[in-house]
Amino acid sequence: MADRTVEAKLMPASEAVRKFIPDGCRLRSCGIGLRKPMAFVHEIMRQGRRNLVFLQSGMTEDADLLIGAGCLDKVEGSYLGLEAFGLAQCYRRSVEKGIPRKLTIEEYSNFGMTMRFMATAMGLPFMPIRSNLGSDLLRVASFRKPKAVVLDDPFGSSARVALLPACDVDVSVLHAQRCDNEGNTQLWGQLGDDVWGTLAGRRILVSVEEIVPSKVIRKDPNRTVVPGFRVDAIVPVPFGAHPYQVQGYYDVDTPFRKDYAERSATLEGWRAWADEWIYGVADHAEYVAKLGVDRIEKLRAKRVLSGQVNYGF
Amino acid sequence: MASEAAGFRRTELMAICAAREIRDGDVAFIGTGLPMLGGMLAKYTTAPHCILVFESGSVDARPTRTPLSIGDPCLVPGSVMQAGLAEVFGLLLQPGYVDLGFIGAAQIDPRGNLNTTVIGPYETPKVRLPGSGGGNDIGSLAKRVVVIMKQDARKFVEHVDYVTTPGYLDGPGGRERAGLPRGGPSAVITDLGVYRFDDGTKEIVLESCHPGVSVDEVRRNVSWDLRVDRTVRTTRRPTKRELRILRTKCDPDGIFLGA
Repeated sequence: MADRTVEAKLMPASEAVRKFIPDGCRLRSCGIGLRKPMAFVHEIMRQGRRNLVFLQSGMTEDADLLIGAGCLDKVEGSYLGLEAFGLAQCYRRSVEKGIPRKLTIEEYSNFGMTMRFMATAMGLPFMPIRSNLGSDLLRVASFRKPKAVVLDDPFGSSARVALLPACDVDVSVLHAQRCDNEGNTQLWGQLGDDVWGTLAGRRILVSVEEIVPSKVIRKDPNRTVVPGFRVDAIVPVPFGAHPYQVQGYYDVDTPFRKDYAERSATLEGWRAWADEWIYGVADHAEYVAKLGVDRIEKLRAKRVLSGQVNYGF
Repeated sequence: MASEAAGFRRTELMAICAAREIRDGDVAFIGTGLPMLGGMLAKYTTAPHCILVFESGSVDARPTRTPLSIGDPCLVPGSVMQAGLAEVFGLLLQPGYVDLGFIGAAQIDPRGNLNTTVIGPYETPKVRLPGSGGGNDIGSLAKRVVVIMKQDARKFVEHVDYVTTPGYLDGPGGRERAGLPRGGPSAVITDLGVYRFDDGTKEIVLESCHPGVSVDEVRRNVSWDLRVDRTVRTTRRPTKRELRILRTKCDPDGIFLGA
């Protein structure tokens, strides 16, 4: 159970990583190609965490950076690439050449990972799905044995399912639009598997674009995905998902992602990139300052306000 | 007959072929790249009532710019519903409410089995690819699946190195024996032609070559003895309207079509 003392939850990313993410931790990231917890990822790299097991369906630069930095031992997930920008090159170097170390992967599908998180979040040992059947996702296992169990409906329908094991999560990190100072956290836009993935965490660390008064949350409670009593750390970090987009706050920084894809193609290029943008800056505020006001202003979201609903009774 | 356009790129024709696979009213699951352009084009032209679903959680999205990825924030305002993976996969796809899904692949075999995981042995791959993502789920559970990929003899292989997404597996009845509830690939669109699957044998068959491409050229880019439809034809050329909408509304900056 999270610490209920409000003051104890508010902290910088460096403290949250130091306190809650030990070496060997089973760590869940967030965001399906958006709203990635980049401030946390950078801080994990700076603090040189080792032997982490990274858990997420759609992994992009978040995983690639941690692999390049040698922070990860294992991955359980379904996609690891740079989307429209190409293959994840640290991932390739790690799996193909063992640089900086060989990573082992247990792969499922996006739906499969989501249901594994759902099982954990609901306190269940496994979940059934109807995809994956007949594919090598069920046949090829690396470290979870059994990786899945195929079962014909014991209640007599002709349906066959694959049972996938719950995905145990020590710590979930979530980047969200806003929360209040108790950690009641609101998300909007595309949710990916963030509701289930976040709530699967024994501990939950939230970074947010802004902290708002509790009455803002309580006026629109349908938007809350994590109740504050489940949250262990609140890290206010504007532009904390850059170069990814956060609906209503800023757009994706396409040139930045393209630059990463190009420079990470070689090991030297990746090191220079990481020195420039991560190891060479003290924290996320310095990173944002380095991006510069012009760049930040260009990314800032336009106002497209929702209507309001009547919660009255 | 709509008037045909003179010059076009192969990628443009691929997006247009993708659009032509969408029937009006289809619920279509859309992935990053050419399928997005195909989906947008279909909505502007032949399938105004199709519903574009994105695995990130957007339902009936009406993108106002070229979405760079399935998580593009332009897919949110104007959509009818925003949810997440559990809802679009669990509530729409798995119970059978998705008519059509698009997926890409690095390798395909004669039964339409797809690989997006590794080239070479799994433990010591020559190239480590991104993996399934939602591909396996879409390919397993949509009613029809359309594959979009570039073609050469290393991609069209007798045996894929890893079955990420099941096509017809080992042939007739393969999906049923595996326990898959429905579906299977209905078309493959490449930069050289369009393929269908034989109803009986579940084998891939060349249906049409793109303009300027010969059957011989297609055969040279397949590593098995390809079956060619007896009535193989030339892919219908893009119309001026299709090209104009594709270039001005779907991808004006040439992000996926090439500048």
